[in-house]
Amino acid sequence: MANGSLTAAAIISFCKELEDKSSTFYGELAERWPEGKEMFQVFSKAGEKHKTWVVRTYQETISDALEASYAFEGMNLADYVVETALAEGSGYTDALETARALEEKACAFYLEVAERSESLLATIPMAFKRVAKKRNKRKARLQSLLDVRL
Amino acid sequence: MAILEEPIKEQLHLKNYIDGEWVESEGERKDVVNPANGKTIATVPISTEDEINEAVEAAKDAYHDWRRTPPLARVRCLFRLKELLEEHFEEVSRIQTMEHGKTIDESRGETRRGIEMVEVATGIPSLMMGYNLEDIATGIDEYLIRQPLGVFGIIAPFNFPFMVPLWFAPFAVATGNCIVLKPSSEDPISQVKILELAEEAGIPPGVWNIVHGGRTVVSGMLDHPDIKGVCFVGSTPVGRDVIYKRCGETGKRVIAMCGAKNFALVMPDANLDRTIAACMTSFYGNTGQRCLANANLVVVGEGLSEQEYDAFYKKVVDAFVAAAKKIRMGYGLDDTVHMGPIRDEKKKQNVLNYIEKGIAAGATLTLDGRQFEIVGDLPDTCFIGPTVFEDVTLDMAIARDEIFGPVANMMRARNLAEAIDMIHDVPFGNAASLFTQNGKWAREFQYNVQCGNIGINTGIAAPMAFFPFSGMKDSFFGTLHGQGREAIRFFTESKVVIQRWF
Repeated sequence: MANGSLTAAAIISFCKELEDKSSTFYGELAERWPEGKEMFQVFSKAGEKHKTWVVRTYQETISDALEASYAFEGMNLADYVVETALAEGSGYTDALETARALEEKACAFYLEVAERSESLLATIPMAFKRVAKKRNKRKARLQSLLDVRL
Repeated sequence: MAILEEPIKEQLHLKNYIDGEWVESEGERKDVVNPANGKTIATVPISTEDEINEAVEAAKDAYHDWRRTPPLARVRCLFRLKELLEEHFEEVSRIQTMEHGKTIDESRGETRRGIEMVEVATGIPSLMMGYNLEDIATGIDEYLIRQPLGVFGIIAPFNFPFMVPLWFAPFAVATGNCIVLKPSSEDPISQVKILELAEEAGIPPGVWNIVHGGRTVVSGMLDHPDIKGVCFVGSTPVGRDVIYKRCGETGKRVIAMCGAKNFALVMPDANLDRTIAACMTSFYGNTGQRCLANANLVVVGEGLSEQEYDAFYKKVVDAFVAAAKKIRMGYGLDDTVHMGPIRDEKKKQNVLNYIEKGIAAGATLTLDGRQFEIVGDLPDTCFIGPTVFEDVTLDMAIARDEIFGPVANMMRARNLAEAIDMIHDVPFGNAASLFTQNGKWAREFQYNVQCGNIGINTGIAAPMAFFPFSGMKDSFFGTLHGQGREAIRFFTESKVVIQRWF
């Protein structure tokens, strides 16, 4: 994974991977734990929506006059690779913990790219912030479920 | 990071598109080579005089019905084309990277700019309206009507294979004209793809034609009595001495957008981080093969003592060079890459020759682009790295000529007035940028600089589709410019009607 000055294209590719991985993860949780099925299904489906928001905004905004390749200098994408594997014998609480950690990392990723690209990439940071807000709400919901169980 | 999938899997055999048919040319064929990996991705014909004449005839025949097609019906074709371009956004972007070499971010940016031209042209029912005044004398009214003229020729350059023809084509077609377009034979695939989509969008046969080729096709356009005007983007010698001159002789309208040598001025109060990011995009974006690219960076010492000025100059140049060194070069379909190759080996050699000229003239080669690394296993045939010269003076060829490559010259001016004089010392007048937080300096700059496109804290002063793409001095020959309302005026005749009823 290239560090240093990341291109906008590389950030968008990472967003797509993150959303795909997240959707697959929640899809699996929905099948395994009926008690959270509805919520996990909603989370799983939202991945496509998030991707559409970000990719569409990027494609509608990107131009050769924007500093698309120089907004993300020094950012390390390895910091935001999400862990979705559940250990053998994991229970529902473990699944909620993993999901909460995923949301936390995803939210932090979107906030960082939004901040770095602010005013360099026109409306793209707005799309990042929009997804961050959704992720943050999901994190809060997962945390409240965990609080009840712990 | 993986390389994005290539949309062209097998070598394409390109044809002309005349009167709604893809037709084989009798001319010889030329290879279209992906400059990043050296693979031939298509062959393109170098069409004959008969073929360009056939296309003009087809366009002339189509014009009769097309100009009578209501503007609203004409733009519905463009609305459909816009939707198809959106659907194929990624495919057409990757094609640009494959045939030109630019990075995927740059290609997507080019696609967006091209689509925006189509979007603006869909406003023709309003934009093409004339005006009127009742009672210019008692009982007499006067009207201005904008009417199309007939057939226009469009001659495209290699550096923006998708976007540049769209500076003209949608406006020409929306106003009721028909066109014959010659894409660059170096990277003609994007225009073929657009035509495939235009056909699907319902543009009638003969309205939008493509004839591939070289000088024969250009001469055919310039000499043909049924071509009413020509739009050209390319070098100054060709634009001025061939296109503009010949159009004058044959009474054709002309837009000739030509070469450039653009300056970026950095004032002492500039936001340096933002300035350097903008400069990297401007100097090295599209591997410097862009008429809006800045090439000369002037560090201006307005209001500074000698000591302060030396320190400021060093700070700017150090930051510029440090950023340039971080540029990753490789295949544009690797989305981690910042800069692709030069379009072909001959153009790379031209850049190398200028580096030699700079050294011979006494400039200091601070960053040598001849030494570079490429991401991935690629031939170095067309690659050249970011280059920085210092101690450049205005009498040097590297400071005056359009190099069309990733070469940046660091220069000095004691104050803004001196820096503006430097801009005026070169024959071109395409674009210039100023980096400052000072409104007075910014106004002085935009007021005095004789360049068509001015950037204030913007490295690439690229006009949006609803503004004209301007240009002055040796960068532009003609009167009206491409894009926006000026394009609409270019592609229409103003007819005045004075009406009285007895």
